[in-house]
Amino acid sequence: MYNIDMDSLDLEKTYDLVVLGGGPTAIACAIYAARFALDVLIVGKIFGGLIATTDIVENYPGITSTSGQGLMEMFKDHMNSLNIPYITDEIRSIENAGDYYVLHSFFQKFKAKSICIATGSERRKLGIPGEAEFAGKGVSYCATCDGPFYIDKVVCIIGGSDSAAKEALFLAQNVRKVFIIYRKEEIRAEPINKKKVYENEKIEIINNTNVVEIVGKTNVERVIFDNGKELEVDGVFIEIGSIPNSEIAQRIGVKTSEKREIIINRKSETNISGIFAAGDVADAPFKQAITGVAEGVIAAYSAFDYLKEVKIEY
Amino acid sequence: MPLAYIFTKLIRDEMIKLTKPVELSLFMGNNIEDNENVRSVLKIYEESSNELLSIIEVSDPIIAKNYDVKHFPAILFINNEGKELIRYLAKPFGAEIRPFIDAISTFSGDPNYYESVIKENIEKIKPSIIKVMITNSCAYCPEIITFVNKFAIASKGKIKSVIIDIMAHPDISESHDVSSVPYTIINDKKTFIGMVGPEEVLQELIGGN
Repeated sequence: MYNIDMDSLDLEKTYDLVVLGGGPTAIACAIYAARFALDVLIVGKIFGGLIATTDIVENYPGITSTSGQGLMEMFKDHMNSLNIPYITDEIRSIENAGDYYVLHSFFQKFKAKSICIATGSERRKLGIPGEAEFAGKGVSYCATCDGPFYIDKVVCIIGGSDSAAKEALFLAQNVRKVFIIYRKEEIRAEPINKKKVYENEKIEIINNTNVVEIVGKTNVERVIFDNGKELEVDGVFIEIGSIPNSEIAQRIGVKTSEKREIIINRKSETNISGIFAAGDVADAPFKQAITGVAEGVIAAYSAFDYLKEVKIEY
Repeated sequence: MPLAYIFTKLIRDEMIKLTKPVELSLFMGNNIEDNENVRSVLKIYEESSNELLSIIEVSDPIIAKNYDVKHFPAILFINNEGKELIRYLAKPFGAEIRPFIDAISTFSGDPNYYESVIKENIEKIKPSIIKVMITNSCAYCPEIITFVNKFAIASKGKIKSVIIDIMAHPDISESHDVSSVPYTIINDKKTFIGMVGPEEVLQELIGGN
């Protein structure tokens, strides 16, 4: 019912398109592929991707305001309406078998005539002393997950992106005080969110500052800045961008940039025939759910075109 | 549209797809409000299931003791042999609806994606308890819940999953010093903080022996 109707999962079948990933990009790609009458399967480790951890989404056309989880529920309903199978699993290797690819996970293997890599990205780590030691003991990478632990407490967010601003606004609903600590002169959130941050009395921004250490006994107690000053906090939320999940692509020779993003053209094609990529894992300069969705849709169309051109029966 | 309406509709839309009968046990404690909170949600599941889902309310302390139920209310998936497979110390609402329904359908006998690999490895797996600590705003928690419940069902209870809402049971989270979710603990030893995949959990179940 939820992940997959196992009766419809045919492991002997060669799927027209297997989409790797579980976020909006992957689902949009699969929805369009299904509408192009392709046999499509999604294999993802995390349904919803990073957007599911966003408190409020207010920039998706047609939806004035919803939560990240709410948006993904709508995606899931859409996916289910087309009977698109989704499996929680992770592809570890891909081999080229001539006319098709074989994708191996720990649990199963799948055959695909084409692949769309939409594996997104994961939170970047700071790499400072105390970060790993206090992971789960005051250091967090997900405000919506861990916010409830900090009611009436003092927290800081490290980072100055739009995501950092949104996390600050979310946390400010319940904590006593939120500090945004940013290494540059001014946070670079969308103007609409920046305004909300500046107007929120619980949020204070500390600019031109780097955190160099997270300190505590059993749990986080304070952070130390590069100017030698310290700030007492109960929680540290790290929001300094993300790293593309491109290992599987690199392993099969898909070209990536210096940032490890998969290099795609305007048709979402990679350097390998039959392998497409889209969303946060690819090298687009502006990464949003809506742009990932668009790239996913283009990837589906390109896969459809590819299957026609190479005369692979679909 | 109010969220409660959306979630209730989701339960109704999904539970109607149930094709085989299922029985769940609801162990109730002394807190009437807590009991009613979970009971009212389970009633939506029950009423939407074409009479295929039955909720058996248990308030007999001896039965609770037999299953070592100390925290209430608790929802238990108990198989025909009387063996507990899954325990919910959480209200299956909001983001937890889909994994809960998925567990119900798999428990009813629907195919299980992980079954063949669990069966292949069952001899290498010791009796294990996987606790998954969650909050209802955690986006990653439903993913972990989904596969650990399927592990439990595939192993016929050799692996038991326990889903714990730490906001409802702060004493449990404090005893494990949890301040981040999802927080997955295998046999009260190995912990995974944050998202963990089915392969890593299974490797731990196999390799940890």
